[in-house]
Amino acid sequence: MSEKRNDPVLETLSPADRARFLNMVKKGISRRDFMHYMMAAGATAAASGTLFTGVSDAWANTPKRGGRVVFAGDQHGPNDTLDPALFTSAVDYFRGRMYYGSLTRLTKNLGYEPELAEEVLSNDSATEWTFKIRKGVEFHNGKTLTADDVIYTMNRHMGADSISNASSLVAMVKEWKKVNDYEVKAILSSPNADLPIALGTFHFKILQNGAEDFSTAVGTGPYKVKEFKPGVRTVGERFGNYWGEGGYLDEIEHFGIGDPVARLNAFLAGDVDAMVNLPPKAISQVESAPGKSVWSLESAAYINIACRKDMDMSGNHDLIMAMKHLMDRQRLVKGVYKGQASLGNDHPIGPAYFDHSPDIPQRMMDPDKAKFHFEKSGIGNTTVPIVAAEVAPGAVDQCLFLQREAAKIGMNVDVQKVTTDGYWGAVWLKAPMCVVSWNMRPTANIMMTLAFKSDAAWNETYHQDPEFDKILVEVRGVTDAAKRKEMYHTLQEKIHNDNGSIIPLYRNYVDAVSDKVKGLTHVPLNNFGGAEAPVTLWREDA
Amino acid sequence: MTTLILKRLGIGLVTVIAVSLIIFFGTKILPGDAAQIRLGQSATPENVAAFRARLGLDQPYIVQYLVWLKNFMMGDLGTSLASDVPITDLIADRYHNTVFVSVLTAAIGVPISLALGIMAAMYPGTLYDRVLTLVSVSLVAAPEFFTATLLVLLFVFVLGIGNAIVVGSTEGKGLFELIAHFALPITTLCFVIASQLIRMSRAAVLNVMSSPYIEMAILKGVPRKRIIFRHALLNAIGPIVNVVALNLAYLVTGVIVVEVYFGYNGLATLIVQGVQTRDYVLIQGLGMIFCMTYVILMLVADIAAFASNARLRHPK
Repeated sequence: MSEKRNDPVLETLSPADRARFLNMVKKGISRRDFMHYMMAAGATAAASGTLFTGVSDAWANTPKRGGRVVFAGDQHGPNDTLDPALFTSAVDYFRGRMYYGSLTRLTKNLGYEPELAEEVLSNDSATEWTFKIRKGVEFHNGKTLTADDVIYTMNRHMGADSISNASSLVAMVKEWKKVNDYEVKAILSSPNADLPIALGTFHFKILQNGAEDFSTAVGTGPYKVKEFKPGVRTVGERFGNYWGEGGYLDEIEHFGIGDPVARLNAFLAGDVDAMVNLPPKAISQVESAPGKSVWSLESAAYINIACRKDMDMSGNHDLIMAMKHLMDRQRLVKGVYKGQASLGNDHPIGPAYFDHSPDIPQRMMDPDKAKFHFEKSGIGNTTVPIVAAEVAPGAVDQCLFLQREAAKIGMNVDVQKVTTDGYWGAVWLKAPMCVVSWNMRPTANIMMTLAFKSDAAWNETYHQDPEFDKILVEVRGVTDAAKRKEMYHTLQEKIHNDNGSIIPLYRNYVDAVSDKVKGLTHVPLNNFGGAEAPVTLWREDA
Repeated sequence: MTTLILKRLGIGLVTVIAVSLIIFFGTKILPGDAAQIRLGQSATPENVAAFRARLGLDQPYIVQYLVWLKNFMMGDLGTSLASDVPITDLIADRYHNTVFVSVLTAAIGVPISLALGIMAAMYPGTLYDRVLTLVSVSLVAAPEFFTATLLVLLFVFVLGIGNAIVVGSTEGKGLFELIAHFALPITTLCFVIASQLIRMSRAAVLNVMSSPYIEMAILKGVPRKRIIFRHALLNAIGPIVNVVALNLAYLVTGVIVVEVYFGYNGLATLIVQGVQTRDYVLIQGLGMIFCMTYVILMLVADIAAFASNARLRHPK
C-alpha cells in the first residue's frame, strides 16, 4: 500500500527541515552522506539512519509531476457524454472526475471533505445547508467560480422535468438560494443529514453558469479536455491553473475495451496501465505477474434475486425463505468470486456502509430449514422461474448454484437466461423473479430510499411496509448516535426477514493496476477507486 | 454493355430502397426506446418521459420514414439519439480505421492468395496443392478470435513485439506506421480472407480448365503456363472478382470480432453499439451505408465479369 504519507518520523520534523531533507533525498543523496551530514549536525547514527529511511519513504510516496497513464474501462460507446447529469457508466464517472470538480469530495470511509465548497454548514434540524464557495477557483476557460455556477448546476437536477439521472438524490431540496457571490444555501423540504455526501457523488459536478454545449467540458478539474470522442477515447491534459493539490500527470488517457480477454491482454502486455473489472479467474494471473497488482475495494455492491411480493408465487413468503436458505454463500464467495466478496445477509447494507448493523445473525445455507419452508409453501413441483442475465460477473452462476441446491430438496427452479441487452426495460421490475445488480450508494439511507421504500420507483420486490417507511424517513433527522444505530438496525432486520430480495453476498470492485501508478483512491462506490482516482494519480517513473 | 450496366444499376437501386424499408421498420421493432436505454437502469419514469419528449419520438412511423429517406439522399444522416452528435461525425472517426484496415488487408491479402490459388490450379494434385488445400481448409474452420488469440500469444507474449490491442490514434501516420499500427488485426484478417480466396480462385481456374477449348489447347501442345494465363484465367475472372468483392464488403461491415478483440473502433463495432443504445438514427444510417457498400462492390464485380467475358457481353 502506498498510503503512508503521515510517517511518524517525518512528523517530528519542522516543516522547513522536512522540506530540506526531502529535497536532499530527491536530489539523490546517499544514506552514508546523509548520515555524515546529520552526525556533523549532532545527531546519533541510529537516529540519522531512521530519519533517512523515513524521509526516503516519504519521498517515495511524494507525488511526482509528469508522465502519462492509460486507464482502460469496459463498456463505452457513442452515448459517452460530458454532461454530468446524464452520466450512466463507470467511464463517464471517471472522465467526469478528470474534468470537473464538485462541492464535496468523498473519502474512503464515505465521509466527505470540502472541495469547491470550502465550508459546509447546516442548521440543527438538517433542513438548511450552507455551502461557502472556495475563492480563486478557475475554470478551464479562465473564468472564476462563483455562486451562479453552483446554482445553475444544481438547478439542472431539480424539478419533475429534470433529465438528471441523480435527481432523486436531491429530491428533498426545495430551493437553491444565492446568498452572495461565494455562498449558496439549500433549503430542504425534509431533513437530510447526508446531503453533502450525496453532492460528492458522480453527477453533481459543477458546470459553468449557462453551460449547454457538452462537446467539450469546461470544468474546474485538474485536467482539461485535449480529446473527447464518444466511444473512442478521451485524453485529458494537465490544467496549469488547477486550484488544489493533485493533477500530477501530464496526460490521462481513458477508453473502454469491451472484451474482458482483450482488456486483460492489453493490461498484461503493458499497453494500458490499469484495467477495470478483472475477471475473477484472472486474479491469480495478475497477482503473479511482476509489477502488476489487484486494485480491490471492499464494497457493499451486490447482485440479488428480486422476488415480487405482489404476485402469487413469487410473493409466497415461505418460498422466498426457502430460497434464502438455499444460497450457498460461502461457496459463492470462494468459488465464483475467488474471495473478492463477503457474505451477504439478505439486506442491502453490507459492512462497507457506515450504518451497517453487525448484530443481525448471518444467514447460512441450511437445507433442513429450506425444506421446512418449501413444504410449508405448498409450491410442490410447480416450476419456479428466475430470469437471469449476466448483469455483473457471477450473476448467472449465482442462480445456477441455487438451482442445484433446490433440486436436492425437490424444488424445481428454472433459470431462464436472457441477454443483458434491453434487460432493464424488458425484465427488471416486470418479471416475478429476476437477477439485479446494484452498485453501492454513499449512505444506507440513500440505498434503502432508492430500492426498498414502499413507494420507491425501483422498489423491485413491491414489498409494502408502512412502518419501515416511517423509520426510514424519521432516521434522516436523528442526530443521537445510539438511537440512529438502533433505527438502522431495525430497518436492516426488517429487510433481512420480510423482503423478497435474496442477497447472498457483497462483491468487491476488482480492478488491476501497474505498480508504477501511485495515488490510488479507495472510495467503495465504483471501479477505479470510486472513480475518484484522477485527481491524485501520479507515476513513480515520471 | 451500357444497357446491361444500366439494368444492374436499376436492380441496385431497388435493392437499396427495399433494404431501407427493412432497416427503418426493423429498428422500430427493437424493444425499449432510445430514451429508456440512454438513461439506463437509473431512470425513473419521469426522467424517461422528459427525455423522450426532448428527442421527439412521437411522430407516426411513415412520416418518420419519408423524412429520413429524404435526408439520407441529401447526405444528412441525422443526429445520434444517444449522444446528440451528428451521425456523420460518429462515423467519420471510425471510418478511417475501417478503411485503413480493409484496404491494407486487401492490398496485402488479395494478391498473395490469388497467386497461391492459381499456382495450386497449375499443379493440381501435387504435394504443394495438397498442403495448401489442407492449410486453407483449416483456416476456413478457425474462427477469427482463435486466429487472433494465437497471433497475440505468439507475437506479444512469446516474441515480445507489438501491442495486444491497437493503441493510440492514426493521426499523422505514414503508410508503414499504419501497417505497424494495425499489424495484428491486418494479419488476422489476411488469414481469414486468404483461405476463401485461395479455395475459390483454385476452383474457378480448375473449372475452366476442364472445358473443351482448353482440352483443344492441350491437344495443340500449348504449354500449361500459357494455357492458364492466356486462355483460362481471363474466363475465370468473373467468379474470382465476385469472391474478392464479397470479401471486401465483409472487411468493411463484418469484422466486429476483430475490432472488439483488438480494441479499436470501426464501423462494425459502431453498429453493435448503436443497437445496444437503441440509437435508431445511427443504426439506420450505418445500415444504409453497409447496404450501399455491398451494392456498389457487387456492381463493380458484375461489370468486371461482363468486361472479361464475351459471352456475358453478347448474350444470345
